[in-house]
Amino acid sequence: MEETKENYDLTPRVAPNLDRHLVFPILEFLQERQLYPDEQILKFKIELLNKTNMVDYAMDIHKSLYHTEDAPQDMVERRAEVVARLKSLEEAAAPLVTFLLNPNAVQELRADKQYNLQMLKERYQIGPDQIEALYQYAKFQFECGNYSGAADYLYQYRTLCSNLERSLSALWGKLASEILMQNWDIALEELNRVKEIIDSKSFASPLNQVQNRIWLMHWGLYIFFNHDNGRTQIIDLFIQDKYMNAIQTSAPHLLRYLATAFIVNKRRRPQLKEFIKVIQQEHYSYKDPIVEFLACVFVNYDFDGAQKKMKECEEVIVNDPFLGKRVDDGNFSTVPLKDEFLENARLFIFETYCRIHQRIDMGVLAEKLNLNYEEAERWIVNLIRTSKLDAKIDSESGTVIMEPTQPNVHEQLVNHTKALSGRTYKLVTQLLEHSQGQAAR
Amino acid sequence: MATIASMLASTQNPFPCFREPLYSRSRSVVFRSYLEPCGRRIRTIPRFIRACQPSDKVGGEGGSVSASAKSYHFGNELLSFASDNFLPLALVTGVGMGFANPTLGCLADKYSLSKFSTCGIFIISGLTLRTEAIGAAVKGWPLGIFGLASILLLTPSFSRLVMLFQLQPQELVTGLGIFCCMPTTLSSGVALTHLAGGNSALALAVTVASNLFGILTIPFWVSRYIAGGVGVSFPTDQLFRSLIVTLLVPLIIGKVIRESFKGFANFVDNNRKLFSRMNAICLSLVPWIQVSRSRSLLLSVEPKVFLAAIGIGILLHLSLLAFNALSIRILSGLSGDYNSKNSKGNGTAVLLVASQKTLPVMVAVVEQLRGAFGEPGLLVLPCVAAHLNQIMIDSILVNVWLRKSNASSSTDGGSDSEDESDIEEEIQEVQNNDINNRYLQDNSDDDDDTDTKRVIKPTKDKRFEEMTHTVEQMKNAMKINDWVSLQENFDKVNKQLEKVMRITEAVKPPTLYIKTLVMLEDFLNEALANKEAKKKMSPSNSKALNAMRQKLKKNNKLHEEEINKYREAPEVEEENEPEDEDDDDEEDEDEEDDDSKEAVTDEEVDETTDTRWETMLNKKDKQMEKLLSKDPKEITWDWVNQKFKEIMAARGRKGTARFDLVDQLTHLTKIAKTPAQKLEILFSVISAQFDVNPGLSGHMPIKVWKKCVLNMLTILDILVKYTNIVVDDTIEPEENETSKPADYDGTIRVWGNLVAFIERIDTEFFKSLQSIDPHTREYVERLRDEPMFLALAQNIQDYFERMGDFKAAAKVALRRVESIYYKPQEVYEAMRKLAELVEEDEEAEDAEEESGPISSFIVVPEVVPRKPTFPESGRAMMDLLVSLIYRNGDERTKARAMLCDIYHHALMDNFGTARDLLLMSHLQDNIQHMDISTQILFNRTMAQLGLCAFRVGMITESHSCLSELYSGQRVRELLAQGVSQSRYHEKTPEQERMERRRQMPYHMHINLELLEAVHLIGAMLLEVPNMAANSLEARRRVISKNFRRLLEISERQAFNAPPENVRDHVMAATRALTKGDFQTAFEVLNSLEVWRMLKNRDSILEMVKARIKEEALRTYLFTYSSSYESLSLEQLAKMFDVTEAQVHSIVSKMMINEELHASWDQPTRCIVFHEVQHSRLQSLAFQLTEKLSVLAESNERAMEARTGGGGLDLSSRRRDNNQDYAGAASGGGRWQDNNMSSGYGGRQGNNRSGYGGRPGQPRDWSGQNRGGGYASRAGSGNRGGGMQMDGSTRMVSLNRGVRT
Repeated sequence: MEETKENYDLTPRVAPNLDRHLVFPILEFLQERQLYPDEQILKFKIELLNKTNMVDYAMDIHKSLYHTEDAPQDMVERRAEVVARLKSLEEAAAPLVTFLLNPNAVQELRADKQYNLQMLKERYQIGPDQIEALYQYAKFQFECGNYSGAADYLYQYRTLCSNLERSLSALWGKLASEILMQNWDIALEELNRVKEIIDSKSFASPLNQVQNRIWLMHWGLYIFFNHDNGRTQIIDLFIQDKYMNAIQTSAPHLLRYLATAFIVNKRRRPQLKEFIKVIQQEHYSYKDPIVEFLACVFVNYDFDGAQKKMKECEEVIVNDPFLGKRVDDGNFSTVPLKDEFLENARLFIFETYCRIHQRIDMGVLAEKLNLNYEEAERWIVNLIRTSKLDAKIDSESGTVIMEPTQPNVHEQLVNHTKALSGRTYKLVTQLLEHSQGQAAR
Repeated sequence: MATIASMLASTQNPFPCFREPLYSRSRSVVFRSYLEPCGRRIRTIPRFIRACQPSDKVGGEGGSVSASAKSYHFGNELLSFASDNFLPLALVTGVGMGFANPTLGCLADKYSLSKFSTCGIFIISGLTLRTEAIGAAVKGWPLGIFGLASILLLTPSFSRLVMLFQLQPQELVTGLGIFCCMPTTLSSGVALTHLAGGNSALALAVTVASNLFGILTIPFWVSRYIAGGVGVSFPTDQLFRSLIVTLLVPLIIGKVIRESFKGFANFVDNNRKLFSRMNAICLSLVPWIQVSRSRSLLLSVEPKVFLAAIGIGILLHLSLLAFNALSIRILSGLSGDYNSKNSKGNGTAVLLVASQKTLPVMVAVVEQLRGAFGEPGLLVLPCVAAHLNQIMIDSILVNVWLRKSNASSSTDGGSDSEDESDIEEEIQEVQNNDINNRYLQDNSDDDDDTDTKRVIKPTKDKRFEEMTHTVEQMKNAMKINDWVSLQENFDKVNKQLEKVMRITEAVKPPTLYIKTLVMLEDFLNEALANKEAKKKMSPSNSKALNAMRQKLKKNNKLHEEEINKYREAPEVEEENEPEDEDDDDEEDEDEEDDDSKEAVTDEEVDETTDTRWETMLNKKDKQMEKLLSKDPKEITWDWVNQKFKEIMAARGRKGTARFDLVDQLTHLTKIAKTPAQKLEILFSVISAQFDVNPGLSGHMPIKVWKKCVLNMLTILDILVKYTNIVVDDTIEPEENETSKPADYDGTIRVWGNLVAFIERIDTEFFKSLQSIDPHTREYVERLRDEPMFLALAQNIQDYFERMGDFKAAAKVALRRVESIYYKPQEVYEAMRKLAELVEEDEEAEDAEEESGPISSFIVVPEVVPRKPTFPESGRAMMDLLVSLIYRNGDERTKARAMLCDIYHHALMDNFGTARDLLLMSHLQDNIQHMDISTQILFNRTMAQLGLCAFRVGMITESHSCLSELYSGQRVRELLAQGVSQSRYHEKTPEQERMERRRQMPYHMHINLELLEAVHLIGAMLLEVPNMAANSLEARRRVISKNFRRLLEISERQAFNAPPENVRDHVMAATRALTKGDFQTAFEVLNSLEVWRMLKNRDSILEMVKARIKEEALRTYLFTYSSSYESLSLEQLAKMFDVTEAQVHSIVSKMMINEELHASWDQPTRCIVFHEVQHSRLQSLAFQLTEKLSVLAESNERAMEARTGGGGLDLSSRRRDNNQDYAGAASGGGRWQDNNMSSGYGGRQGNNRSGYGGRPGQPRDWSGQNRGGGYASRAGSGNRGGGMQMDGSTRMVSLNRGVRT
């Protein structure tokens, strides 16, 4: 299984779509899971840090990796350079920063951006240069790992910035900072803000837009699997045509997360059918136990296969940096998502199984559900009691008997005709509009 | 001599010969030779010999060296004269030396050098004697026999006469007498016969025979005439023996050596000149030694007496000539074929040979006599003189003949040049035979040119004759004032004029014609002036007169210039004519020089024919040539530029032979002064080559095509080497841009468009494949040229990339893509190997070519590789090219590249990739607006995609790809693989032609049978269970109309014959499948022939089988479910030979999709069927709702038809309630036929559920709201597997472009 574990690790596919800093959590997770040799991960980290300003951190890692006390020369040099640059940027942004630090002054700012700019210029001699410096400073702060500072500055910057591109960049920066600070609520807000801009803004090329979406989806993964409401959000976001297209064209591995969300989330059942189709279509380009599990249950009705896949899914979830989040509960550390997933997956199997069966042996059912007989019975009784299942248990033969669900003819007829009135109504209004339009002309 | 040859070879190549395009025979030879490179190699050697030949002739004709030749032949003139008259000169030298210093000669005599020399002569004769020469002589046997008789029997009697002369010392006369008894000369007779254009083979034969027989007869005659007279006994047997030893034996030795060592024979043939020289030297040794020996005696002889002896000798020869001429004439007269050319040649040969007497034999005889008749020196002396004399006299005679015939031809004016050319031909032919006989036997070439000459020449003469005849008739008509016949004749003359002009390739009409025109005009004016006469004319006559007046007026306008010229100086014109002709003659010589050089350099040119034709060229071309055969040193840029402009001006003009233009320009490229100029001219060459074939339908001759490619490569060479030269077609370059030398610093702009050229070359290649019959070898050969094109394209692309012109590079890359995309990996591999192979060959050939003395001013090394480089796999190459195109191409280029890419992916069985590409590119949406060829490409791609889907087992996708292709009956037309006849609309010829032009070459075809099989099988697999499921409401859901129709037809048949074609097979399978008999169904399909077209046939059949089983199971369940209460899983699995898991999966799917009202009973592993019976009322209610929805739908459609273009806003509103409209949109397929735009709208409405849930194409990528997308009628496809790609299969109506 060692092999598959690595195969299922999506880090290499996910990482290119993330910010450098966002990769760290993943690496940390991997280090913890011991999927890869420590050294490899440390090297990765250094490589990653080399481009950032977190030189001290890089030095530490270097030391632990090579077990030396000396930092390499280039790192030392870089450190000096970083510090120098920080100084210069600080100076450049200083007027605005001092202004912003002054709560009285900040209160003078109004909702009108134009006014604010004007006011800043007149009263504080803060022009576009200083504002730009603020952005650079924020960026630098971010690179240094000072996310909260960066987030603050970027927020301020956005209120003053007039450049759309820059504004978007700032937003991205803010989002990253919030994610890194694990402020999931704010991060979600930021995410939606970014999404709005992406959807409304006209990009230079469609490809650009797709790329932006993919970034957004990847970054969002942090939020979705940490925020309470994230699993609904992820479905809502990913299932949108535009985002689904982006997934299909460039990032089919995201299907794993969507599939997981679907399984875990009961509220978005209606969209599942659509998603199944996508899975079928992308079958050739991406394979994943979680996705395959869905395919087994809903495409091939291969319940034994689904059973097997479920086990694999467990592995995958535990080893996935987004899904396998641990919660330390006293001495135990559990993966809450895993349990939830397994529970729901079982339900999936059972539901579908029941739909096509008239009579099921309890023993078999228990086996299929990975439960013992007693548990299974209890489980089913629970289901029947909460009227989730229209069935009866025949204790004598040890079977569950489904109540035949005859399609109601009246219901069918109503369904057929329900649409008609709406259609006709629409038609008439259209006709009227049309004639009016013509008359007006 | 060798210096001359080399000098001629090294001079600039003369003007390339004007070839006659109609001249198919010689061209075919050319092609053959090109195709068989080894043939060419052999040929180069004899060519080289020929190359120096014409200059010999110049000397031979008494120094009539042409003016132009003089300029650089001056110094060699003397030398060539000497070399030609080597024999007489050697003789004279020998005699002179003997006189001057006898001691050496006496010393030589002491060692009996003369014997060796005699032996030498005959060994050489034997060496040079060809067997076939003897054979050729047999044909002229009657005259030959006469010649022999004359030499051996008749002429010896002249010695009687000679002996009558009394001179002191008597030896002189006796010597002459013996001389008379001798057989003919060994070499000079034959040589002179060559010159005179006689049958030299016959001459040779006569020479050999008479010399052999002479051994027998000489002793007899000598003893009879001379010994008797002098009274000395004659040692016959001794003489005989010695003759055999010195003559026959060496001859035979020589011959044997020749026969046994082939290489030696070749050497001899190649160095014939040398051997004849040696022969002459040996010959001259004899008089030298003799004279040396008898010098003292000679000195004692009075000069007067000696002169008299010489006089007698001359007299003797003249009388011999007269005698022979007379007898030959009589003889020919008797046989009645005097006029034929052959007998004329034979006559010349016999006359010359029979009248000459040999000195060497005479010397031998005298040697043998050992002074029996007196001092041998004195005996020989007059004979030496006589020998010299006869050679002199005969050569003069030959010259006189030649001149006479020339004169006669020139007095005839342009109308009759037959004699001249005739004789020339003969000379040429003789030379060919003599010097190049090996050439004759090795190459059919010579045969060819003699043949063609015989065919072509008379036609030309005939035309002239006809014309002359007509003119005569006109004159007669004028005399009797018969305008009707005059008019008729005038028309006739005009027609003939065309023919004559065409044949002679002349721009100007012949003088005869102009003369006639003038005459007519005058006569007409006269007739018009004479009003009285006019009145008297008959009505028809006067009508003709009027018609004639108008015609003449019109006609004369065309020739106004010539007429005026003629009117100004009618005499001058006529007098000029012969002179011109003379000039022409000289030029001919000149040109032959040039030609021969050309021949060496240009393997294509069939020189003999060319010279032939050149004699008939008009003056204008001549001038051109004169200029072009200019001294290389005088050629300047200006001059070349001017020439170039002249030639270019002639382009496209009527009467300009296209091939000539190409040749002229090709020559200019060789003499171009600067690289830029060379480039400029090369561009024109290529344009001219494109012009060679004027029609749109025909293709460029393959030969020319290849040359064109080579030219393109040369252009690239130049461009790569001189990076400062820029090719551009947007700005008009300055006048003298190309004059800038190679080392000019700035950029030089040359007008041209490489992309257009390469595209044209590709198109021509395509066209040639279109028109060549694909079942011939020629087609295969042609296909082999593809690597050549690919190499060129690759080079051009590289060049563009280096230059940073990526747009152009993309265009070129597209061409490359288009020649690769349809090739599966195996074919690609084969091509790759072929390319390597071919190129090796070619390189060898190139090396061969290089060795030839080609030299042009601008020598361009082959910088550009001639070999295409292919990546390992076709996919890699495609990726490389396609990504370049995507980056840089324009819309159309990108679209086409994308289609090719998709096609290739499909070919490689990457269905997913191919489909994604297709969907992402939106090609289906806007393919309607593209040009037809792109639409065809799209159709091909769709077909291939369908096949691919089938191969990977995706039946639904496959079917939806192909269904639209088969919806009309026009698959062939849609794929451009043949023209399908349509019953309903006739095509105009224009349309048909257009369609033919679009056809795909055979090797690119998608197999239609396979396609049909795939489509029908797909349709069957989908439709059979569908029909079973909806047996009650069959009309409602039809997946494949086409299939349904076919099924109906086949069901209507009373009897079912065993299946023959694909359709029958599928129908038979369908019948079996409907009953759930999967085995029969599969067997029927398995027996299809087309499966062998598939690469992994077994696995595909396996897949088909599995699908058939599955569908059979489904069909069975649909059909018979009502008869069962329950069915066990096991039984089903056994019944259909499927695993239980599969059955379970299939059945579960059906249950979930509510296709089957049943559920599993898990403990018993059974399917329990639920009886769902609707009451009558209920089913009626269902029908009512059905009708209602149809009504609503039709309302909507009517509304949309009214609002027209409102389709798009309708759809935007519709998107709100997708689900509701899904059902309505299920009719989308039909809407589309009525109203395209509303069809779009309807489709867009439910694009969310469309295409198997790939919801909506990334519509917003391009920022605009496109209609269509890959929407489908998924509204109806509520089945789980209802992934349909209808939207993507929107096929293209080809005729839309043409008809509207």
